Amino acid sequence: MFGQGLIKGLQITWGRLLDKKHTVKYPYEKIEMFPRFHGRFELDVEKCIACGLCANACPNKVIEMEKEKVDKKQFLTKYVMRIEYCLFCGLCVESCNKDALKFTNVLDMNQYRRSWVRLSLVDRPAPEAAEEAPKEETPAKTVKVEAAAGQAPVKEG
Amino acid sequence: MKTQTYSLNLGPQHPSTHGVFRIILELDGETVVKATPVPGYLHRGIEKLAEARTYTQVIPYTDRMDYLAGMLMNWGYVQAVEKLMGIEVPERAEYIRVIVGELSRIASHMIATGAYGGDIGALTAFTYTFRDREYCIDLLEMVSGSRMTFSYFRVGGVADDLPGEFYPAARKFLADLPGMCDEYDGLITGNEIFQARTKHVGVITPEMGINYSLSGPTLRGSGVNYDLRKVRPYSVYDRLNFEVPLGKNGDCFDRFRIRIEEMRQCGKIIQQALDQIPEGSIQAKVPKVIKPPVGDAYAEVESSKGVYGCYLVSDGSPKPYRVHFRRPSFINLGYLAKLCEGWKIADVIAILGSIDIVLGEVDC
Ligand code: SF4
Ligand code: SF4
Repeated sequence: MFGQGLIKGLQITWGRLLDKKHTVKYPYEKIEMFPRFHGRFELDVEKCIACGLCANACPNKVIEMEKEKVDKKQFLTKYVMRIEYCLFCGLCVESCNKDALKFTNVLDMNQYRRSWVRLSLVDRPAPEAAEEAPKEETPAKTVKVEAAAGQAPVKEG
Repeated sequence: MKTQTYSLNLGPQHPSTHGVFRIILELDGETVVKATPVPGYLHRGIEKLAEARTYTQVIPYTDRMDYLAGMLMNWGYVQAVEKLMGIEVPERAEYIRVIVGELSRIASHMIATGAYGGDIGALTAFTYTFRDREYCIDLLEMVSGSRMTFSYFRVGGVADDLPGEFYPAARKFLADLPGMCDEYDGLITGNEIFQARTKHVGVITPEMGINYSLSGPTLRGSGVNYDLRKVRPYSVYDRLNFEVPLGKNGDCFDRFRIRIEEMRQCGKIIQQALDQIPEGSIQAKVPKVIKPPVGDAYAEVESSKGVYGCYLVSDGSPKPYRVHFRRPSFINLGYLAKLCEGWKIADVIAILGSIDIVLGEVDC
């Protein structure tokens, strides 16, 4: 009989009328992302040895870093990600031997201005020569680093 | 009465062209006299970009061709590199590739099905397939961390093992899949209006399909039994039991219908792969810097749109000398101009949708 298919279709849609909702009211409600989610990057400055492997692994030259030699050791002074060019492929995270660079599951990185998109993970001066820079100064530097990391206008999306 | 033909631009900004695709239609009233497809609006020069990147760094770019089935795009490329270097991929990695590849195919076919419903005017179908696709993509996100551009394959294996939570979630999805397909069949395939719009429209004869090098559901809709997974099994497809759905008439309806059938078969394949998957390594031993020997290689996989191939030329350096992708959507489009002749404007939309193109892949 002509029209049977139409009736069947209507049955399906009516059957779904009182179904549970499949959507959430973003941004008021958020879904928990999976642990492997490729969200905003996070850099553990303590672990990073400024080897540059991550920057080399990147297909799009997203990672810009500057370092200075302090005490025969490389000291990371700047670590900026040009997120607008990032493919979120994860090759950088994969290449880091020290487990310093990681993805978080923060997903909203949208900004009102293009220049704000850039993600500055480290921006700090190198300490003076070792004799003048006592050990206690290191924690203070770390605090400063955290402040720099939060430079993005919307800190937690 | 003397009448004149006129030309009409369809696209590039038109939702029915599935992206930035343009067809110049020469019309006599509503009837198409001549159709001239104009691709190229999304050209990014991926093949050229690849020449300036290392072999691993090319992988994220392949995702961006058929972004609806990114896993399958990764697959064809890494297979070519592996062939060039003679790398043996561990069995577990092959099974994981099959699982994520078929999930990607399901996700892609869901879009094809829903979007085609939308093209014909059954927009409800679109919401149904997109609802289910989210669950499919959830699985892929669990595995790879991304929802569309996965970059999950690596030369010699895959980036990461399947997480523990994947297995129950995948089994649940597979259990729901036949019900989802029934729903699409009930909503769209059985709909008389839909059938009237698509049956006997845009018929591709098997000979023409073969002559124009069509592949994938577009070719199989005409009843030509050509699926790479069967005729030249790669990976572990020879150990998996599945059928290749075929059409009879080669019309829009058949091309549409077999995609839903294929989803059911994909479910079967994943089920078997999950049952058979062995323990072991997920990554073959490959050198840190991938430097294939001088030479060339060509590898193909059956993507959701058809036969996707990758041709690689190496000059012995860490970067490919030349990469070429055989993109099924692009080649399937080759027949579009002929196919549209003599049909009405509305049928052009039905025909174009039934070929299921994705512009990222057409323009590359
Ligand atoms: S995710 Fe990919 S594109 Fe982004 S910074 Fe890392 S390597 Fe570069
Ligand atoms: S994040 Fe890792 S790879 Fe990058 S410089 Fe630091 S230690 Fe090296």
